[in-house]
Amino acid sequence: MGQTEMTQTEMTQSENSSRERILERIRTGLRTVIPEPAALASDRAIVEPVVLEPVIFEPISNPLERFQQECVSNLMECALTADSAASVRQLDEVLQSLPDGEIFVQDEPSLRRLVETAVPRRAIRWSSQGAPAEASQATVTLAEALIAQTGSILVTAACGGRGASVVAPCHIVYATTVQLVPDLATALGRASREGILERNSFACVISGSSRTADIEKILVQGAHGPRRLVVILERSGV
Amino acid sequence: MSTAAQRFLQDAAVKSADLMHREIIRRGMDSYDVAHLKGRARIKDWEAARQKCQEIKREAINHVDRYLLQFEEKVVARGGHVFWAANSEEACTYVKNLATRLGVHTVVKSKSMVTEEIHLSPVLEKAGIKVWETDLGEFIVQLRDEPPYHIVTPAMHLNRGQIAQLFRDKLDPSIVSDDPRDLMAVARRKLREAFFAAEMGISGANFLVADAGVVAISTNEGNGRLCTSVPRIHVVVTGIEKVIPRLEDLAVLWPVLATSGTGQGITTYGTLIGGPRRKGEADGPDEFHVVLVDNGRSQLLADAEQREVLHCIRCGACLNICPVFRHIGGHTYGTTYPGPIGSVLTPHLNGIAEFKHLSYASSLCGACTSVCPVKIDLAHHLLQNRRNATQAGATKSSERMMFRAWRSVMLHPWMYALGGWSARTALRVLYGLGLAGSIVDPMRVWNRYRSPVALPSESFRARWRKGLGSN
Repeated sequence: MGQTEMTQTEMTQSENSSRERILERIRTGLRTVIPEPAALASDRAIVEPVVLEPVIFEPISNPLERFQQECVSNLMECALTADSAASVRQLDEVLQSLPDGEIFVQDEPSLRRLVETAVPRRAIRWSSQGAPAEASQATVTLAEALIAQTGSILVTAACGGRGASVVAPCHIVYATTVQLVPDLATALGRASREGILERNSFACVISGSSRTADIEKILVQGAHGPRRLVVILERSGV
Repeated sequence: MSTAAQRFLQDAAVKSADLMHREIIRRGMDSYDVAHLKGRARIKDWEAARQKCQEIKREAINHVDRYLLQFEEKVVARGGHVFWAANSEEACTYVKNLATRLGVHTVVKSKSMVTEEIHLSPVLEKAGIKVWETDLGEFIVQLRDEPPYHIVTPAMHLNRGQIAQLFRDKLDPSIVSDDPRDLMAVARRKLREAFFAAEMGISGANFLVADAGVVAISTNEGNGRLCTSVPRIHVVVTGIEKVIPRLEDLAVLWPVLATSGTGQGITTYGTLIGGPRRKGEADGPDEFHVVLVDNGRSQLLADAEQREVLHCIRCGACLNICPVFRHIGGHTYGTTYPGPIGSVLTPHLNGIAEFKHLSYASSLCGACTSVCPVKIDLAHHLLQNRRNATQAGATKSSERMMFRAWRSVMLHPWMYALGGWSARTALRVLYGLGLAGSIVDPMRVWNRYRSPVALPSESFRARWRKGLGSN
């Protein structure tokens, strides 16, 4: 590699004289041998996938039911719909309850269909036009997956960007039951295998609306992010 | 100049006698206890979960060099930058120079104890940069010009009335309500201006995921999300020990951290960020920097007994359960990390001579060890720190003399008997004169705030001879 074609790693290294020093200190420190407990006879055992989660967490027999329960305890709204017409009505109902103003929508064909049927009179900003405006009343996005164990949605930058799930006071997620996965281990394992984080600079497991308990440990729903997280969950045709 | 130990004793005496403070902390801890136990009950096998977390962190720390390099490679490949800082100064200088170079006037920060440890905000402010703490608790203590009281809930020492008054004084004199919802709304309005004006967002990291090359940030309020989404530069400041091997490790670490931290099943936002905005993404920062802070951590790797202190995931559970913390509160420690973990860690980071007293501010009851979600044996580490301080000769000569005297008394029964008799007689006279707890009372430390314990009429040995032993 020629001198003019220094990779970014090399540039970072040359500007960062402490890097080697810290690594050297780490390696020196790690030479101290610490007796390993019997259970950890080899490092390999930890690195390779160990199916421990089912022991730690209650196995999930009915993901849909569990997801709905967890939504309740996470203070998020989950509306189960039978088909896309019902989803349109549901979306319309949620948007009717919000103050006037622009909404932000992930630019994606199924959401275009849904939103253009449901909201004829509202200004819409599409994710292809950039980040959501600070004053957006709601954001409408898809999710990568729904996690039953924790009542969570997994979103990535592909779901309308980073601000799409946090800037507006109401975040509406349009999902189908086929996107349900039983638990975090499955969702993260899949994300890892499918290289979701190679394709996206950002992902987030969202479990409810934003909240704080910083004053007297009293729960306040709606802190800096959305006060409402609404999942419109459409039953997928078999 | 008073020493850290003297300040600690003074503040502890004041705080433990402050009834209002005690009431606020008692209430906060009571609601934490309820939530924490409820959260633990949601996990089928809590002990197995702790075991798993311990194994993950042990694997990570035992190969921390390898995992950090793996993390770095991924981040750099995506156009991010990784800076390794040996100490506070290097870390602060890097962030300050970056901010100056990129024309930053305003910074929004989400909660990061490492930035507290390295005192980043004062450095930026000195360079003329406005820094906003955006976590509600951090925002409150920033307005009060105070360090965080607790590593998870920074303002838990204040009640709503005090916070409402603070907001009236500093933000808006027309604030009437002290309802937490209204106070949050005030902070939200104020900080939204900051989020959308700031050029740089600074966050911490709960985990650095090696195989995916992403930082994992757990937040509830959404401020961490905004800090890392809206400004054009995102800087992560974190410790080298935060690394974990695999993305899937979060499947157990996230629920366990949330349960131990607040009693939640999972934190509202588990954010994963691996680089700047990619081509085609709707938004996100153009610059992404990770500052890996060593600041004494790598030295702990060589400590065969205490390397596991680096497993800590900063959940705050040991603070919450500690009877000492519950009485003296977070600020008394005078350290970035208070409570049992702080008492163990601080002597390593800031010097055993100045901070050895923290290891003695413990009843060694072991409650901290019993709750630690990564099974750090905190109580024994406190004991080891006491031994280390003694071996390092950090004890006072008067203390060493006292212990020599004590040793010979214990080795000579006649001296012990004489000592016991003298003490009983002298104290009886003193108490008879009504001088218990006064400046001449050798038991003053105990008797100042309590009625004296009744003195026995005769020695233990005399009672033993009279048949105490046969009962």
